[in-house]
Amino acid sequence: MRYDAIVLGSGPEELVGAASLAGGGRRVLVLEAGPEIGGAAAAEELLPGFRVDPVHADAGFLDPRVLRDLELDRYGLALLAPDPVLAALAEEGGALTFWRDPARTRVAIADRSARDAGRWEAFAERMEAFARILEEVAGRPAPRPAGPLRELAPFLGLGRRVRALGRSDMTELFRVLPLPAYDLLEDTFEDALLKGALGALSVRGLFQGPRAQGTALALLHHLVGSPTGCFGTRTVVRGGVGGLIEALDGAARARGVELRVDSKVERIEIERGRAVSLRLADGSGVAAHAILSGMGAARTLLDLAGPTWLDPDFVHALRQIRCRGGFARIHLALSEAPRFKGLAEPAAGTIVLAPSLDYVERAFDNAKHGEASERPVLEARIPSLADTTLAPAGRHVMSVDARFVPVDGRDSSAGFAGATAGDALADRAVALIAERAPNLPGAILGRKVLLPADMETRYGLDGGDPYQGELALDQLLFMRPVPGWSNYRTPIQGLYLCGNGTHPAGAITGASGRLAAGAVLADLEGHG
Amino acid sequence: MQIARVWDAIVIGGGHNGLVCAAYLARAGRKVLVLERRPILGGAAVTEEIFPGFKFSVFSYVVSLLRPEIIRDLDLPGHGLHIVPLESTFNPLPDGDYLATWADSEETRRELYRHSPRDADAMQEFGRLMQRMAMAVKPLLATEPPDPASLHPRELLAMGRIGKHFRDLGERDLHALVKLMTMSSADYLREWFESEALVAAKSASGIIGTFLGPRSPGTAYVLLHHYMGEIDGVFRAWGFARGGTGAVSESIASAARGFGAEIRTDAAVASVIVKGGRAAGVALESGEELRARTVISGLDPRRTFLELVEPADLPSDLVAAVERFRFRGSSGKVNLALSELPDFSALPGAGPHLKGAIAIAPSVDYLERAYDDAKYGDFSRRPFMDIVIPSMIDPTMAPPGKHVMSIFVQYAPYARTGGWDDRSREAFGDAVVDTLAEYAPNIRSAILHRQVITPADIEAVTGLSEGNIFQGELALSQLFFLRPAPQWADHRTPVGGYYQCGSGTHPGGGIMGASGHLAAKAILADGGR
Repeated sequence: MRYDAIVLGSGPEELVGAASLAGGGRRVLVLEAGPEIGGAAAAEELLPGFRVDPVHADAGFLDPRVLRDLELDRYGLALLAPDPVLAALAEEGGALTFWRDPARTRVAIADRSARDAGRWEAFAERMEAFARILEEVAGRPAPRPAGPLRELAPFLGLGRRVRALGRSDMTELFRVLPLPAYDLLEDTFEDALLKGALGALSVRGLFQGPRAQGTALALLHHLVGSPTGCFGTRTVVRGGVGGLIEALDGAARARGVELRVDSKVERIEIERGRAVSLRLADGSGVAAHAILSGMGAARTLLDLAGPTWLDPDFVHALRQIRCRGGFARIHLALSEAPRFKGLAEPAAGTIVLAPSLDYVERAFDNAKHGEASERPVLEARIPSLADTTLAPAGRHVMSVDARFVPVDGRDSSAGFAGATAGDALADRAVALIAERAPNLPGAILGRKVLLPADMETRYGLDGGDPYQGELALDQLLFMRPVPGWSNYRTPIQGLYLCGNGTHPAGAITGASGRLAAGAVLADLEGHG
Repeated sequence: MQIARVWDAIVIGGGHNGLVCAAYLARAGRKVLVLERRPILGGAAVTEEIFPGFKFSVFSYVVSLLRPEIIRDLDLPGHGLHIVPLESTFNPLPDGDYLATWADSEETRRELYRHSPRDADAMQEFGRLMQRMAMAVKPLLATEPPDPASLHPRELLAMGRIGKHFRDLGERDLHALVKLMTMSSADYLREWFESEALVAAKSASGIIGTFLGPRSPGTAYVLLHHYMGEIDGVFRAWGFARGGTGAVSESIASAARGFGAEIRTDAAVASVIVKGGRAAGVALESGEELRARTVISGLDPRRTFLELVEPADLPSDLVAAVERFRFRGSSGKVNLALSELPDFSALPGAGPHLKGAIAIAPSVDYLERAYDDAKYGDFSRRPFMDIVIPSMIDPTMAPPGKHVMSIFVQYAPYARTGGWDDRSREAFGDAVVDTLAEYAPNIRSAILHRQVITPADIEAVTGLSEGNIFQGELALSQLFFLRPAPQWADHRTPVGGYYQCGSGTHPGGGIMGASGHLAAKAILADGGR
């Protein structure tokens, strides 16, 4: 028997893709190599009763069309809105807190700089207007400038949106897109802590310091789907990303999607340039008209399909995809919430430790020369403050991203791996937080450290990059995942890609799964 | 106060772009006057006898980007321009080896093969691609950037033409171009080559004049910018003007004079006279006033908009854009008078490698560390250097048997913590000589005289703000329709009759002359009287 479509992997994009295909009346099978639906996005138990999302920071920016079409609220999806959204820890104790209400943030900034406070709301509004443009881009396939003319039509609509910004904002958008976040922030603000915190957010998904061109775009990228001025915290789902997976699982099953775990795919079988079936690790085979893979372009095409059917230039391009996660994830199970000195409210959103732009740049300098940062940039969350389902009563889970960690052997004289290195970095991270929250070390009940190498081996994320491809200017839009192949198709007929490595990327959005399913459905219909 | 006769056009600044602009205007029959503050012409393209008998291309030291149509239109060879190609590159390495390229492509291939057979093969295709990319970008160098915010049919048409131009490149080349416009030179080159020495040597052209490291996105474009040069139709040919870089300026000046332009040195302009929103002439620092219907500034955007005219006369968003235009000079220069040639341990003797470009850029890491020093406010302790020995090509540059050495050095940040003074200048010079001595130990004893130039000196002598050799960084946010400011990238200004022609305008950077040429075209198109 032959499925209409088989989806490889069961992360959020793959599940959205599967549910959308089934919603289109197709017979769909999802194959997950691991023991649980969700893959790298499945919740894990750090200790009994303590749930963490292993690699994802939050539920990203869920495309409203996905929420609506899949009726995720019917399957248990509940969105939370932690406030404050961001707390930037000051060296002298206390923190600069950012709130959902921009006026409240302005007041907080005014304590540090009246000039910056005066500029905050205009900056936040302008960034939001720019993020809205990116949101528009994220919701549709990336037009290919050298592709067929009909693909350029969306450009016109987008052009109108950009023009609607008015001359001043429009030219500012063109200036900001390739700008280093360093320059953008230096142009606007004077307070080192404010600039440092936003600078730290601008290098998420990049193996670069804030002085690198393209980091302003990354800052905007992470703002898509957030309320005005809510830098650093996006969609938060009850139950974490694991909670999102449960809702997607429910929506997929309700549409008749068949899901199988412990089903590792060994090979995509190709006949006359067309993907026809899959061979699984247990030796069995399963046939389909279309195969949609969320495993990353290089893994799918080079490891599973094999380069035989591919043009050498395309193979070369696959090998050039830069995946450089560059951070370590530290999970902590806590007997009590950390109490930050000088901070009245619990830090419900994102906590950033990056007192200045130079601090962030120096942290990157270490990694660029092959060492983990001596003083890492820390981005932490205590999701159990807003979501009591994640830890036993009164207890908490905390996840800390420590930047930077070298990834790429080509980029450094020394590799970076092994338990010792990870523990040393985690010790440094905990010590840095303990300077501001002295009760933290004594509250730790359990700890788990993931280095890029661990994310690669355990979750199949090349280079430890949860985005499956650095969010660099040359790896976005029609250049993602491979230049000219941004429409979810591949040179092998019947084989499609979705997932974070494809447009729009940069977070969990569901958009990639939805758009890829659209491409598959269109082609299946073309075949009758 | 005397009122002088009325000129059609006055060009402020006798740099190469100002001279090119003047020459084209004069050729079109306009009565043109060029005013240069210094006693010599050329701006940053000058030859000066700094020490008796030793002549130096004090600042800019190689020629490549000068537009061939300018050379043709102005008959520069007829005015004494003679460019001798630099035929080799030589990069000594810390392990005692070296990486070289030679005029003979087979010899270069053998040399690359020694480092990596794969790279030797890849180099052929890489060269062809870069040539195609340079060809793809070149038409833009000779085009006024359209204003994307305008709905004027002319601008929309121009945008459409550019869109079509890029579509016509075909998918493959278009994607390669996008990569070059956005990537770091190190990442881009690593897609092609495996030899660290080769990647480092090539990525160094991506950092020249920038405040970026080879791993910073944006440097691949600067790499391409440096590939756009050609000499007599030969791509990627770098040359040395006989008589030094000043000879380039002199030949353009001679051509301009031949068309009837008048050129005055020691004539510093204090301000542009604006009457009723229109340029009416210039006031010199001496108090003299000169009338003209058209005034063209060859100075950088900061001086053009914030110093020569009253910023109050300009739209506030233009002033804001110019105020945040980034200069951040990052390079210095060390000029040495030598009693003998340097003797490189990696390739001893006075071989042909001393006739070409010599670079100290042994690894990407080395260049990044040099950048790290500058990021936090100091000059590189072990800097990147691009060296030529002009006396090897043109013996008139130094007394018989002696030599001059020109060392372009990066990074030397303009905004050095603690500023620049005699002590820090000499410490910077020492760092350069000490580093060079690691590769050519005889250099110390061979030095007869030493001139050290910091970005602060470049600013003080040539007037280039913050000592930026490109009149503003060649960053994506400062190119094309954003250079120097949105809406004013077409060499015009909000002040009627006031134009800009320096390399702070499109297409910018290097001894190219394209900015001066485009400005002249804009003036003539406007009527220019």
